[in-house]
Amino acid sequence: MGPPQHQQQSYSNVVKPKQDVAVHRTKVILLGTRRSGKTSILQVLFKNLPPKQTFYLEPTMRVTKHAFDTVIPLEIWDCPGNITVDTLEAPLSDFSSIVFVIDIRDLYQQPVAKLVEFIVAACQVNRNINLEVFVHKAEKLQEDDKIENFRQIHERVMDRLADESPEYEQVPLNFHLTSVYDHSLQEAFSRVVHKLIDSLPYLEDLLNVFCSNTSSPKAFLFDTTSKLYVATDASPVDQATHNLCCDYLQMLNSFGPLYKSNASPDPRSGVFSSVPGAPPHPNTPPTPAESLDYLSSNLDPPPSASAKPLFYPSASTSLSPSHPGTTLTYHLVTPHLALLALLPTTVYEIRRGLVEWNVVWFREGVGEIWEVEKERSEGELA
Amino acid sequence: MLILCRLHLDVGVLWLSWQKRLFWCSSLLHTNWLRTSHLDPPPYLKCFRVSTSTIASCPISDLAHLHSNMKKKVLLMGASGSGKTSMRSMIFSNNPASLTSRLGATIDVEQNHVRFLGDLILNLWDCGGQDAFMDSYLSIQRPTIFSHVGVMIYVFDVESREMAKDLEYYRDCLDGLSQFSKEANVFLLVHKMDLVRDGERSAVFQRKVVELEKASGDFPVKVQGTSIYDETLYKAWSSIVNTLIPNAQNLSRHLQIFAEACSATEVILFERATFLVIATSSSNASDPVTAHSLDSKRYERTSELIKAFKQSCSRLREEFHSLEMELAEFTAVLDEMTKNTYVLVVVHNPVVETAAIKMNIRMARWKFEELQGDSLVS
Repeated sequence: MGPPQHQQQSYSNVVKPKQDVAVHRTKVILLGTRRSGKTSILQVLFKNLPPKQTFYLEPTMRVTKHAFDTVIPLEIWDCPGNITVDTLEAPLSDFSSIVFVIDIRDLYQQPVAKLVEFIVAACQVNRNINLEVFVHKAEKLQEDDKIENFRQIHERVMDRLADESPEYEQVPLNFHLTSVYDHSLQEAFSRVVHKLIDSLPYLEDLLNVFCSNTSSPKAFLFDTTSKLYVATDASPVDQATHNLCCDYLQMLNSFGPLYKSNASPDPRSGVFSSVPGAPPHPNTPPTPAESLDYLSSNLDPPPSASAKPLFYPSASTSLSPSHPGTTLTYHLVTPHLALLALLPTTVYEIRRGLVEWNVVWFREGVGEIWEVEKERSEGELA
Repeated sequence: MLILCRLHLDVGVLWLSWQKRLFWCSSLLHTNWLRTSHLDPPPYLKCFRVSTSTIASCPISDLAHLHSNMKKKVLLMGASGSGKTSMRSMIFSNNPASLTSRLGATIDVEQNHVRFLGDLILNLWDCGGQDAFMDSYLSIQRPTIFSHVGVMIYVFDVESREMAKDLEYYRDCLDGLSQFSKEANVFLLVHKMDLVRDGERSAVFQRKVVELEKASGDFPVKVQGTSIYDETLYKAWSSIVNTLIPNAQNLSRHLQIFAEACSATEVILFERATFLVIATSSSNASDPVTAHSLDSKRYERTSELIKAFKQSCSRLREEFHSLEMELAEFTAVLDEMTKNTYVLVVVHNPVVETAAIKMNIRMARWKFEELQGDSLVS
């Protein structure tokens, strides 16, 4: 799948990549015995590595830090298999989450002992740390064995923790069954990220309001590059729907560069900023603030600090032509976040304008939350 | 299923060795037919399991009427395990590559009628590649197999250990073709290219091309490297299918007119079920596509992407219907054109709306229905 850098490009005149500005990043650490799949997880999620290629990854020899920006900036530490609490170069209290990766086929003694060692150490310094266990490489086993091994690993960890001290029995530990070959990894990691976003309830509220006003049964706010969902509405996440949304996002990400014109750099910016009198795009939000921006951009070069992009990529696909069909919509709301919603086809076809109007308000809301989060992460460092 | 295969084998052996028992043999076949109706074929192979022996028993003259412009016979041949059935199940039955490992060996010939583009029917003969079958194709069944062939696709495993033997059978098949259907097109697929390391791929392929062209003598052949794990499979099959569509140029010319009407950079017509490319609006060099210098792999990558998305839709018991995109780079609409084609309109002019493109597609629909009817009758 091609590197989906197009979203960034379309915003290049609006959002400058702020590499020079240091921000406070929420830290997540990936632990596990060697060859359990830590680096594979990172590469598949954030570097678009095809899952089949993970086989050829070199073992990690030293701690590597990956920066990842979604609603909040994250820093993910990938550790070599032999690391211990003492050899780690930062105190465990620095981390907000510990993700422990266990190969589902592994002899359970060693990884479990290591996991328990880290849990005990982490709980001593920070009782509120999020502890996540990825029982990884689920694709290697048949369905029944998979569930059985997952249950066994869960049981062993809990037993060992109880042996250490009865107080650890109450430690909230989340287990996820994951595999790089399907979207279970994306779903599990999304849940890890959810716990780190303080503004999650507000995003969820926005999605709930959107869903109820647009008669949408399900809506996700996705991070476009990693295909993690940052938030979703209150209805339960159905795995099949989540898979479909991930596949849809992946298809759109691959389509972008496929028909990209290599001759003219950015057709949208060419028309909308330089040609006076061009009709406003219907996706252009007709809110007063925006139309003012639009007018001013026609008269003189737009004030780059406050201008909003005049074009937001969107897409829709209708499924099953019969009534009542479903339409899956995609609307980019910030440079990295996209709203994916399932809508009844009748609603989308007849009241498309209203749907888009709702998207505009949703976008405004997410934009504000995003601004606040950005200010905070930059402010915290200062 | 196993019992069924055994029976087939028995039939073959009896046929070859024991002419006297012919009558008994055909009665066995009869029981066989009943069995097939009892045993449902697996859903991913919605095909018609026919033993060639049954076809051999009906005179050639009867077969002649089957061969018309509408019905194109496609022979799929190659050594056992080279990937013929895998390919077929991916292209025509919409199976993902990961499921092809479940396919069993093909026994004798699996004949498959694929309705491609409405009235054009591909009569696909997937010929089992084990030596015993190959010998029988080249001897007793020779007229049955090699007459009225539109296209022969010969599949070579890139990592084959018995290349000399494969080539020998291949030459024999070419002989058969030149004897019974001289005008047939021959496509050679060097398959399983994914097994070769990335860097060496083109060198290995070039070596194979030289070897195969030498083996083909003066028979004009086209060699292509394929793999079920990437878009090369769609590229190869699109070019194969293109040779079977009469008047593809005519379609392409009308697509050009349509593209102009939509201010589109490019318009691509796909077959509905297989999503293989039938025609595109850019046939000559002086069109707007060259000005935009689009990705050269875009056709087959589109087929691959849409097929993959269709699969994920079917997992949710949904059916893919249409797609419209207004991305940063371009605007595009993928929608039904006629009852068995889909059209992708790619526009780089940002002023053009998807609704306008959809309207144009709706207006052009009857014209293309008519055109398609025409091109098939002629």
